[in-house]
Amino acid sequence: MYLILLSILFPAAAGLFLLIRGRTPLSGEKGNTDRKTLLALTGCFLVITASLVFASLLTVKEGFTLFFLTKTLPIYFRIDGVGRLFSLLAVIVLPCAGFFSFAYMKHEERESRYYGFYLLVFGVLNGLCFAGNLITFYLFFELLTLSSMPLVLHSGSKEAVMAGLKYLFYSLCGAYAALFGIYFLYQNCDSLTFTTDGALRASAITQQGGFLLLTAFVMLLGFGVKAGMFPMHAWLPAAHPVAPAPASAVLSAVIVKAGVLAIIRVLAMFGKDFLRGTWVQSGWIILTLVTVFMGSLLAYREPVLKKRLAYSTVSQISYILFGLAVMDETSFTGALFHVLAHGFVKAALFLCAGAIIYKTGKTRVEEMRGIGKEMPLTMWCFTIASLGLIGIPPTGGFVSKWYLALGSLESGLPVFGVLGPVILLLSALLTAGYLLPLTIHGFFPGADYDYGSLQKKEPCKLMTVPVFILTFLSVLIGLFPNLVDGIIVMAAARR
Amino acid sequence: MGPNLFANYGEAVSAILFCIGFTNLLLQTNLIKKIIGLNIMDSAIYLFLAEKGYITGRVAPIVADGVTSTESYINPIPSGLVLTGIVVSVSVTALMLSLTIRLYTRYHTLDLDEISTQLKREGK
Amino acid sequence: MNFICNIPFFSILLSLFSGTVCSVLSAKAAKIVNRVVILAVGLMSAILLLYLLSTGESFIYWMGHFPAPWGNEIRAGVLEAGMALFFCIIMYLSMAGGAHKLPGEVVESKHNLYYILVNLLLSSLLALVYTNDMFTAYVFVEINTISACGLIMIRQVGRTIEAAVRYMIMSLLGSGLLLFGLCIMYDLTGHLLMSNIKESVGLIVANGEYQIPLIVSVALMCTGLCIKSALFPFHAWLPDAYGYSTVSSAAILSSLVSKGYIFLLIKIIYRVIGFSVFNSTRMIDVLFVFGLMGMIFGSLSAIKENDVRRMIAFSSVAQIGYIYMGFGMGTQAGMVASIFHILSHAATKSLLFIAAIGLTDVSGGSRRFADLTGSAYRNKWAGVAFTAGSLSMVGVPLFSGFISKLLFAQAAVQVEGKMLASLIVLGISTVLNAVYFMKTVIRIYTATTETPYEGITFRHMKAYAVTLVFFILLNVILGVSSQPVVDMIGQGLAMFA
Repeated sequence: MYLILLSILFPAAAGLFLLIRGRTPLSGEKGNTDRKTLLALTGCFLVITASLVFASLLTVKEGFTLFFLTKTLPIYFRIDGVGRLFSLLAVIVLPCAGFFSFAYMKHEERESRYYGFYLLVFGVLNGLCFAGNLITFYLFFELLTLSSMPLVLHSGSKEAVMAGLKYLFYSLCGAYAALFGIYFLYQNCDSLTFTTDGALRASAITQQGGFLLLTAFVMLLGFGVKAGMFPMHAWLPAAHPVAPAPASAVLSAVIVKAGVLAIIRVLAMFGKDFLRGTWVQSGWIILTLVTVFMGSLLAYREPVLKKRLAYSTVSQISYILFGLAVMDETSFTGALFHVLAHGFVKAALFLCAGAIIYKTGKTRVEEMRGIGKEMPLTMWCFTIASLGLIGIPPTGGFVSKWYLALGSLESGLPVFGVLGPVILLLSALLTAGYLLPLTIHGFFPGADYDYGSLQKKEPCKLMTVPVFILTFLSVLIGLFPNLVDGIIVMAAARR
Repeated sequence: MGPNLFANYGEAVSAILFCIGFTNLLLQTNLIKKIIGLNIMDSAIYLFLAEKGYITGRVAPIVADGVTSTESYINPIPSGLVLTGIVVSVSVTALMLSLTIRLYTRYHTLDLDEISTQLKREGK
Repeated sequence: MNFICNIPFFSILLSLFSGTVCSVLSAKAAKIVNRVVILAVGLMSAILLLYLLSTGESFIYWMGHFPAPWGNEIRAGVLEAGMALFFCIIMYLSMAGGAHKLPGEVVESKHNLYYILVNLLLSSLLALVYTNDMFTAYVFVEINTISACGLIMIRQVGRTIEAAVRYMIMSLLGSGLLLFGLCIMYDLTGHLLMSNIKESVGLIVANGEYQIPLIVSVALMCTGLCIKSALFPFHAWLPDAYGYSTVSSAAILSSLVSKGYIFLLIKIIYRVIGFSVFNSTRMIDVLFVFGLMGMIFGSLSAIKENDVRRMIAFSSVAQIGYIYMGFGMGTQAGMVASIFHILSHAATKSLLFIAAIGLTDVSGGSRRFADLTGSAYRNKWAGVAFTAGSLSMVGVPLFSGFISKLLFAQAAVQVEGKMLASLIVLGISTVLNAVYFMKTVIRIYTATTETPYEGITFRHMKAYAVTLVFFILLNVILGVSSQPVVDMIGQGLAMFA
């Protein structure tokens, strides 16, 4: 019990400590030592937090109630299968991106604020994964938005602030839409503790089924905002380019997944049997498919690399949502698998993009000709990660997409059962279309490329190692899906 | 409605006076006229109370000639309320008047809207 | 009769007389007297609250030795004692938080006048809370108005005098309506004591007589108190009055004065008219609609505002809309939510006013947003406090604002016809709240490199910082352990019946 609490409170306290201590490193000799202590502290905090989380993942079995918000609303924590999976993703990606930022953030101002909020986000994410009922979950969901916003607007430029505000408003609107759903659920459920399959009272279903369906839809839309689902996805492409690259990596790989986790929870609260075959399911599938296709298309046309990756996130997250919307065992497994696969891959891609920006200052895709000659290691990682995102066999992306398509076909849904895989395939082609040109032009810049001015610009180890780890993991889960399968089966069984 | 209204003419008059006072207090822009409206409004209420408190044929509750039966006296409470109310309204009026003097010495007008525009022009 | 039963009367009297005493004291002594009195009254209210919780029933205190139909009475239940305690806490914190600004805002020779007004305000608030007599309530409503007006205009700027005049005019309209309604009620029932009126009203309703005068009277009283507590269409006086008066005045006015009237309205609803009778009139629908409109238009005006204190003032309009929406639901749950919101809003709004002054102080006294940029770095404590207050207003869990929204939503779900309207407006209003509060928070945390203004450190504002910490604690306590408070409100309402 204390482990869970500690893994939430320790990073939060550490983050607050950094925020309050708040001295920005000065230039010169003294600034340098200051900066070193800051980084050392942050590094220690990250490692300790990660080990705490691992320890709680391995040892904690029981749930516990911290205190009662009101008489019937406890703040309750429990680690279940789904939470374990998401927590695993967070605990791998966050330290990686954190160490990456040590190098990346060198020239940015107000580093301590960045690391402070970074650790806060870590703590809040742990809370989110370990939350045992809907109200606790909502608490951390709101806190996540608030604590991650400063990461987005870190640079403080007008653009960044506007993007941060946009992120905030989209998320808050979504969260409130979902909150009203929670009120209704609260009225119609015996408790808000997460269950395996449906917590609605039978009487409520018969009496106000229609209204409950509407509630479910509103909640899906509301939490879908965070996951970048179609009508409310616009914050993602705005927020990603302005945030520092490691922050975008976290945002895209983990924080956006909070929306997915939320939707899994909501789905479990309503129960699949209640939603299967209703207009809610069809509407939801349509939205996800539109998002999948549109996201890829927009990414294809986007010249700025980070924005392109952001659109790609929009599209890929909806793969996961599609898997959930189909409400079939196999597709559910695929969706969970894709959570991990996409998390590792997208983090790796963003970190690569960050390394490129850091070393060359180039942000647009067409400027990056020959980049593979300059930064071969980074670009190799980028290429492998791209393959993962497209879904080419040895990588994790292939496994997840295989399951997704299979589940969709198995589900026997009219129209969508077949249409779904087709659109997924089209989108995969588009993915290849928007990611591979980078590799191709990067490694084969063409005959008119000026080899004379070529310099080795490979970034330092702090940058390459995290990228390497993430890329390696994305391949690893593809090569040995059984490693992950254990967790996923557990998650699927206990969702 | 008609006969009823006529029978309760005191209440009707006080209600009408109340409305007149209320409208004046709300809509006049001149501060002095507003204060007069306030006084009309308050007086209307006291008229209402006094009217309600008086019962024809009875006298003020001061025991004279040894008559102790409650039947022959009126209830003194409404009159007491009127007195209290007058005290309150006098103090409020005094406060309003003093505020008005303050504003007048500062802006040389009694028109509240005019004062507002001057304030806006000052930009503070 | 137990000795403790003297507390309500004694606390009213204590604050009334200490006000008079202040007039002959020096400014410094008056300040001490004022603080001590507020603390003493708060302490006594706490004792009373504990006593009432242990006995579990309310008591009635005769003034003089006249029994029920004639005498003047004071009544104390859990809700009254709790409100008195809460008002004292907020008032003390507001005074403490604004104390360092007072010399700059009010002429030195008038400081003791200021404390007279504050004490008078406290006594009238306590009287409004405790009284069981309608006419006494009216008299103290007027005293409350006069002292509040004094608090607004004690800062001698053109704006404040104008605001005071506008405030007086609206207040007088309101109290005129209240008095007229009260007279009609007296005329109908022949009583001035709340409990007696309620019995007679019950008879009148049972017999089906005098329906129209009864409704007229109820409507007049409600409208009067709505005007005085600045419900939406009557809020024109509010931004200037809150925006330009002294800091402590603004905090006290926004969190206590209007709440005193609302509490009186609650008493009238429960103890004079009767909850069920009140619900059967159309008044609740009117309150509901205006409450909803206030929630939206108040927030919209706040968004347009470019002056941080006026923005906070406009947000009060929205929050009062919440409270009336709760009344308008016509259920016990709605009422509990409203009362909780009175507490949570009082705690949050005074915090915001006090924190805002810290921010404007380090921005050259300007309240425009452009000048406030980065002010949270110059005054860290105020920045953190303002953020906490904003989060509470927006309704982030762990702060009091979330609990009141939760209670409102729970109450709304139980009311068939009004559910959708209230939930949708609640959502819109919350998002609007988020728009302007988060905008401000981001603004004050946006770093600027070139500022002409100097920062301030903890050493120069110890009292202020400690006050802010207490305010934040109060908010968090209300947000985290709300259940005892909600239980107490329920118990108090049960005692009303």
